[in-house]
Amino acid sequence: MNADASGDLFPLDRALRGIRERFADAVIDAERTSLREHTVVVPAARLAEVAGAVVREWGGALLTLFALDERDPHGRFRLHALFSMAPEDAILTLVAALPEHAPEYPSLTPAVPAAHWLEREAQDLLGVTPLGHPDPRPVIAHAGWPRGMHPLRRDFVPPEGTSWAPRFSCIPVEGEGVFEIPVGPIHAGVIEPGHFRISSVGETMLQLEVRLGWAWRGLEKLAEGASLTRGLALAERLCGTCALAHALAFCQAAEELAGAVVPPRARALRSLAAELERAASHLGDLAGILNDVAWVTGAAEFTRLQEIVRRASGQLFGHRFLRGVCVPGGVQRDLDDAQQLWLRRVLGELRADVPRALRAATGDASVIDRVAGTGALGGEIARGLGVTGVAARASGLSVDGRRDHPYAFYRDLDFQVVRREAGDVRARLELRADEIHESLNLIDQMILRLPGGPLAQHLGELPPGRWGIGVVESPRGLHVHWLRAGARGEIADWRVRSASHAIWPALALAVHGNIVPDFPLINRSFGLCYACTDK
Amino acid sequence: MNWESLRRALQRGSLAGRDAAPLPEGLVPAPREDHAEVELLGEALRVEVRRLFRGSFRLRHLDAGSCNGCEAELQALLGPFYDLQRFGLDLVASPRHADGLLVTGPVTRHLEEAVRATDEATPRPRLVIAVGDCACDGGFCADSFAVRRGVGELLPVDVRIPGCPPEPAEILRALLAALGRERVRVSAAGRA
Repeated sequence: MNADASGDLFPLDRALRGIRERFADAVIDAERTSLREHTVVVPAARLAEVAGAVVREWGGALLTLFALDERDPHGRFRLHALFSMAPEDAILTLVAALPEHAPEYPSLTPAVPAAHWLEREAQDLLGVTPLGHPDPRPVIAHAGWPRGMHPLRRDFVPPEGTSWAPRFSCIPVEGEGVFEIPVGPIHAGVIEPGHFRISSVGETMLQLEVRLGWAWRGLEKLAEGASLTRGLALAERLCGTCALAHALAFCQAAEELAGAVVPPRARALRSLAAELERAASHLGDLAGILNDVAWVTGAAEFTRLQEIVRRASGQLFGHRFLRGVCVPGGVQRDLDDAQQLWLRRVLGELRADVPRALRAATGDASVIDRVAGTGALGGEIARGLGVTGVAARASGLSVDGRRDHPYAFYRDLDFQVVRREAGDVRARLELRADEIHESLNLIDQMILRLPGGPLAQHLGELPPGRWGIGVVESPRGLHVHWLRAGARGEIADWRVRSASHAIWPALALAVHGNIVPDFPLINRSFGLCYACTDK
Repeated sequence: MNWESLRRALQRGSLAGRDAAPLPEGLVPAPREDHAEVELLGEALRVEVRRLFRGSFRLRHLDAGSCNGCEAELQALLGPFYDLQRFGLDLVASPRHADGLLVTGPVTRHLEEAVRATDEATPRPRLVIAVGDCACDGGFCADSFAVRRGVGELLPVDVRIPGCPPEPAEILRALLAALGRERVRVSAAGRA
């Protein structure tokens, strides 16, 4: 994330050296597990200490943290904490074993706040306890769950006929004139389910609690023992509106696992489809923000443009949300010359209309009054919580998975990582318009330089016990998929962290001190997914 | 500036029923099901809505653990190219104002209670419309222990609209077909 002052472009080496020197007594094992991943095994008792140093001193940024059930045959649980070592395209994984009968470890969260929800989730799903976690309440396991139910354990048997109705506690705010406003999980618009508890004095919000998990479908459990084809179907349905980003991350994980090299034409088409998805998603968010500030003409305009992109995606790739485009080893859809030409013409219209509609909106005092200074997220907080994507770049952070961990065709493309400093709704609004411009440029470049050759490489048997990582910059930020093969080449473990998962806790901080009527607007300006956070 | 944005919209006129991205001659779209004509469907739907619901058919969307795909298509239906409202259909904010529920998602265990509560808040008679494969029968995640196999396990379903997700035109077509069906007519007329 931040190259140090000496201009060191290889933070991974520095971190590995540092760990070897500082924690010489703690390193149990260290090896290179793939082209970009280095794995260091440390005792669970020292994990938090080492992770803290990786983040604080060597510039690591937590990508994801998850637990695995390895009781059979190893008699242990394992924790994996993955750190991005940007600007180097490298991932440092800290691994710690937890004993079968006392799966506890000192919590990482005090040293690495980005682990906050991740540790709570691992506690819900696998029953590994982060000791000293500042807020160990469940995130997915609402209190209606039967005690001791940990669905991602291998020996988990689903309970019959249990009421799972969510019951949960919120942190009370007390004092004269403090009101609690509950919102959701069923909302008034066509929106996903989430519960928000706002504590306010008059109009001012003092605290926001975000309680998700409503759309939890247990998809990671469903993937256990499944084929790659089935796994891909699950990945594509984690989220309707970033379906391609999830499919791509899943495929990359499978390809890294199998050691497959994706042909150039497939890589380019993947990037092209990913930019179409980004444009459609950003246009929807722009429409949503303008709708929430009652700027109806602008909202209609961006909805119109979004539908054009969706329709074009459907015409060219056979699915409006680009499902079925990406498969392990390559892509399933090709674009011929006439289709490429038509796509350029359709997108040419967007190029002129997006800035025009945005100028009209931001030129109006009633819009600026609502968006400027509203819901500001500080850069340091964003960094600390591991926020990525639009939310991070609008707060001044220079992070972009397309540049930091280049995949698909991005290594060969020219694009800007656009940023804003203010971190408010206006910054996120304007940033998205700029990013659509970049996406259109990228699509143009790909059409002009689309390489020939095959569309996919056959993936052989998955080597048992190996794992692969997929990191993709979705319209919202980094999606991380981790995939491990079982003894018969099936999927043994699948762990997903969606971009929104990292950003929800930041939303709770961004609303502080704002007024209650601005909550929907601030929420919309982050444009987060519920379904792929819940999984 | 304000005028600038309005002027273009006014010059362009209504987009309702127009093709968002017309294909030029000779370009073949990716293979898929036949597209029904939105205008024809909508007009036919308007006639049915007028006859059965006195011209105003109000639905409440209820997310029962969907992936957001069906939601995106429902939102598209409300957008400028489909403009659902002109056919006498609209999505309303409260179940208490609704003639029926548009349910998406397989009904996750976590949302079971919320789905029941929303249904109870809907005045009778009401239509229950399952939108998308998940709501119809659990869809891709039917095998998961964390979900029910569609809204049919909890509520009597009047209309099923399959698809993952069903495209906006397909939703209209399914609604139209459903309004012609005996069972739905009975529901609409007032099921005891």
